[in-house]
Amino acid sequence: MIRNTERRPRTLGDIGVRFIIFTLAALLLMALQLTGQLQSLRSAISFFMAPAQLGTTGAARSVTDAIEFLLELSTLRQRVNELEEINAALLAENFSLREVERENGEMRSLFQFAQTRPGLELRGAQIIARVIGQESTNFLDYIEVDLGATHNIDVGMPVVTEQGLVGRISEVNNVTSKVLLITDPSSAVNAILQSSRLNGIIQGTPNGDLLMDFIPQGPVFNVGEVVLTSSMGVLFPKGIPIGQVIERRQRDIDIFQQAVVRPSIDFSSLELVAIVTNFDRQENEAEPVLQPTPDPAVTQGTLVVTPSITTVITTVTTPVTTTP
Amino acid sequence: MTPNRLPLLYGMPLLLFIASLLQSTVAVRLVVRGVKPDLVLIIVVIGSLVYGGKAGMLWAFLGGIGLDLFSGGPLGISSLGLMPAALVASLGHRVLSRYHLFVPLGASALGTLIYGLIYVGLVAFLREASQTPLFGGITLPIYQLPFWATLQDVIVPATVYNTTIVLFMTPLLNRVPEVQEI
Repeated sequence: MIRNTERRPRTLGDIGVRFIIFTLAALLLMALQLTGQLQSLRSAISFFMAPAQLGTTGAARSVTDAIEFLLELSTLRQRVNELEEINAALLAENFSLREVERENGEMRSLFQFAQTRPGLELRGAQIIARVIGQESTNFLDYIEVDLGATHNIDVGMPVVTEQGLVGRISEVNNVTSKVLLITDPSSAVNAILQSSRLNGIIQGTPNGDLLMDFIPQGPVFNVGEVVLTSSMGVLFPKGIPIGQVIERRQRDIDIFQQAVVRPSIDFSSLELVAIVTNFDRQENEAEPVLQPTPDPAVTQGTLVVTPSITTVITTVTTPVTTTP
Repeated sequence: MTPNRLPLLYGMPLLLFIASLLQSTVAVRLVVRGVKPDLVLIIVVIGSLVYGGKAGMLWAFLGGIGLDLFSGGPLGISSLGLMPAALVASLGHRVLSRYHLFVPLGASALGTLIYGLIYVGLVAFLREASQTPLFGGITLPIYQLPFWATLQDVIVPATVYNTTIVLFMTPLLNRVPEVQEI
């Protein structure tokens, strides 16, 4: 057999050429998106994709609920055989009602949240945004909600649930928005420990926990303390729960202490959130800065308060895609 | 190109798009040790193994765009990570025999590692670039991924997870006959 050793001219089909072309195309797309040139295209895509996302999310939730329900059912049947027939008749009705009831409960809780914080305007009937999608990669922590520019949602608006702080709007399309979660490593939130009144900055970590950094050395705080948003920041209203301290990290050689914080929200099961639309950043700025103060209940005998240590916390920029 | 390959060539982008959608909606319910399976990456790796690097490159590009549409990250970054992963996986198409157990597993593991490392590297590059006058006048979003923590908590667990999925898919993969590169 004669082997054809003649070199074939390079064509679009060659792997190397394809690699270069697609790499350049990806870089071009990235540049266009980062500079906001693709905003209208992304808005159009999200307009068409939002129903599909919502439908798929709902279907996945229903399947999960059904599996959980069936698991519960098998246990129940073993215990109450005599009620099996009645149960079967009620199951179908129950299954559909459970979804409605759960959603109702969440809405009631959000409503109570709004009532206890009259300073925050939560957007009326549409105020409650439905989570239609989660971040597709393992590296970042975003969610997508079904409210966008047409609902007067704007970049930077805080997002909460009745359990606490979720994050803030980082990108707004026409009918959807992306929310940067506080668990994303790019996120930074000014926070305060409720009992010991120590300030710090909450940052996300890749493993999903939160790390409260820049806590002044000296004062002692306890595991179990509740962490709230502080008035030092201008990005979030103060007093919103963030989580609870599960570990204290203190080394004498460090300038600051750290606390590992477990978020008060289970981000994997977020379904409804509320967007704070009228948060006045100036209001927070005008608040007096909270200084570390001793809490006798927390610091018995071991408290060393150093009022001279005042942490100057600057606002850390988080990813925000601006519309040109 | 033979006619029976056209559906594959055109069907694959649709499959990748559906996988991207599922990745942002369903995969969150399949989280193990903090990571979800990379459905798009797995499809691209298997596609490159079976059909070669040329088609794999196209699928990696399209799959990455699909992923980024449902992500908060910059558009194109996933494509840039997936294309080298497809390139590595395509070695198993001709250079090695994909019927050997370690070839699909190795392709999946290496593919996930390469994808993850490139993603983190590009995020770091963007972060640095946003602080230099090179992009003066343009406000770049700042993304942050601590390298070692991301490697330990995301990339390595995702590598194990994806490889395990490919391990379970290997019997199915071995039933697909040897095909020429498309």
